[in-house]
Amino acid sequence: MKQTPQKQIANDAIKAWQISASIQLSIGILIGIIILILGNVFSFSYWYGIGFFGLDIILGTITIFIIPKLRWRRWRYEIFDQEIYIQYGILIVTRTLVPMARVQHVDTKQGPILKKYDLASLTISTAATVHEIPALLEHEAYGLRDQISELARVEQDDV
Amino acid sequence: MSEAKRLHPVSILFHVITTTRQIFFALLPIILLVINDFKWLHLILGLIIVIVFLFGFSILKWLRFTYQIEHDQLRIEQGVFVRQKRTISKHRIQSIDLTQNVIHRIFGLTKVQIETAGSNLNVDASLSAVTFAEGKWLHGQLKYHNNNTPVDTEDNQVDQQVEKQYPTRQISWPMLILAGSTSGSFGILLALIGFASSEAESLIPDSFYEETTSWIFSQAVPTIILLSIILLIGIYIVGILSTLIKYGNFTITRYEEELYITRGLLEKKQMTIPLKRIQVVGIKQSIIREPLGLATVFVEIAGGEVDEREGTETLLFPILFKKEIKTFLAEIIPEYNALPDKFQSIPKRALPYYFVRAAWLPIIASIIVALFWFKWIWVPLLILAISIIFGFLRFRTNGYNLTDKQLTLRLRHFSKDIIMLRRRRMQAFETQQHVLHRKQRLATTNSSILNNFAGRHYKLNEIESDGADAIGEWYSYQTKG
Repeated sequence: MKQTPQKQIANDAIKAWQISASIQLSIGILIGIIILILGNVFSFSYWYGIGFFGLDIILGTITIFIIPKLRWRRWRYEIFDQEIYIQYGILIVTRTLVPMARVQHVDTKQGPILKKYDLASLTISTAATVHEIPALLEHEAYGLRDQISELARVEQDDV
Repeated sequence: MSEAKRLHPVSILFHVITTTRQIFFALLPIILLVINDFKWLHLILGLIIVIVFLFGFSILKWLRFTYQIEHDQLRIEQGVFVRQKRTISKHRIQSIDLTQNVIHRIFGLTKVQIETAGSNLNVDASLSAVTFAEGKWLHGQLKYHNNNTPVDTEDNQVDQQVEKQYPTRQISWPMLILAGSTSGSFGILLALIGFASSEAESLIPDSFYEETTSWIFSQAVPTIILLSIILLIGIYIVGILSTLIKYGNFTITRYEEELYITRGLLEKKQMTIPLKRIQVVGIKQSIIREPLGLATVFVEIAGGEVDEREGTETLLFPILFKKEIKTFLAEIIPEYNALPDKFQSIPKRALPYYFVRAAWLPIIASIIVALFWFKWIWVPLLILAISIIFGFLRFRTNGYNLTDKQLTLRLRHFSKDIIMLRRRRMQAFETQQHVLHRKQRLATTNSSILNNFAGRHYKLNEIESDGADAIGEWYSYQTKG
């Protein structure tokens, strides 16, 4: 467990995360506008709405310009014959080992944002836990899915 | 293999009883409303209609429910409006429980519960009433290994003689009373009664309630104290009795491939745990039992009944002295007899994290209370003190021991638990480090196993990061090839 896993996830992950963070920001801005309108209708101070916008800007800068890059830099994974090794987390670095023999099923998922960059995420489920590798290149994700399900097809004697 | 069979007709009665229990609270407001209006005729008519419907539906349900065993599979067909056919392969069965409550015992019947892995109760099968012999037969048919069946139908005493060779343990009455008096059910009962009496105000007629309360308040202080002491002792005795009823005659027997547990005075319960299904063996010492040197032994199995009070753990023995545990394990599950004596403790530099983790919530609570309700400040401060003590106790208790065969964790939340983990049983292993951890060479580990709630994670906070790496290496299949 001393070495970090070798492989990094797709470069475009940063862009995809930035887009989804922007969407969240726009929802935040929408709420700010609603507060301003309500402030006008029910005549309470505009400062609530302005404060909300300030919060939006701070959170937006963090989630769009800082977190995606850090997150991408930390994200590593490696698929061995007998286990899956992943590392993630910005402040708290988590490293997880999942033995192939314990893998129950593997899914790939692709939302509209990931689709735009030809990316897909890979979800690995054991009987007790779920692990996700976000934003892999599409063909890579599909390849890994098939590879893992092939490797996991060892005899599962129990559970 | 066998033709489709129906349940014993008594199951109709069981269905009526369970449904009544379910709809009682829904109907209660209507009944109270009608009683208040003195419309007795409406009430009686309504009840008759409900009862007729209930019985009719239950009889239909009984008619439609059949089960049969076919090629290593249990097949159940049921449903009045929606027909449902379910097939359970015997290789997927986690445990088979036979339960007899008082009604079952009058008629010589038993309930059969067949549990499969996972938390979805709907996937499991439950036969609410079959004859005892039929239950035994089903049990024998569906077991993981068909040989070494414990055939103790009432009519062959000879077999029971043979069985005596298997290691078995039965709880003695003094120990059971000890278990009851340290069970901590006291607090739960107290809370229940407190809740009931606060609700009683709305159920009991006002005049009666007021009479009683005014009578109590008119008494002298010593009488009130005496009454409350009697009440408390009464609650305590009820707690002990409930343990006696639940775990009376607790017997565990080890067969080649499985553990067989029978327990209960009023409701008799028989449980079979295949050894292959055991995910974890643990030893628990609650805060009351720890100073007395008492402990319980439990296992986590995937699937199985979820007991409200005991959580997901299945007891292997309700109470043991700590020094007896090694002999108990060696006798009943020698596979897990490697209980280590020494544990790698948590390094001193991790102590602040334990304090912060225990104290941050009470500190926030104290600040809020101090700001708004200053005269109540002692409540959160007391909780804070207790939390800090627990933080320190956790620091002292937590630890691990790693051998080739097994990872043993010693953990405390409130009670002190020793968890024996096998590499093959761990579903995933995780280490976590934040910025400060990395500088201080500390790491938090998280070991996941499967249980009937689809997963349990044993988190050991802030051990030496070298130690965490060593556990990772041990768990890793790659380095071992």
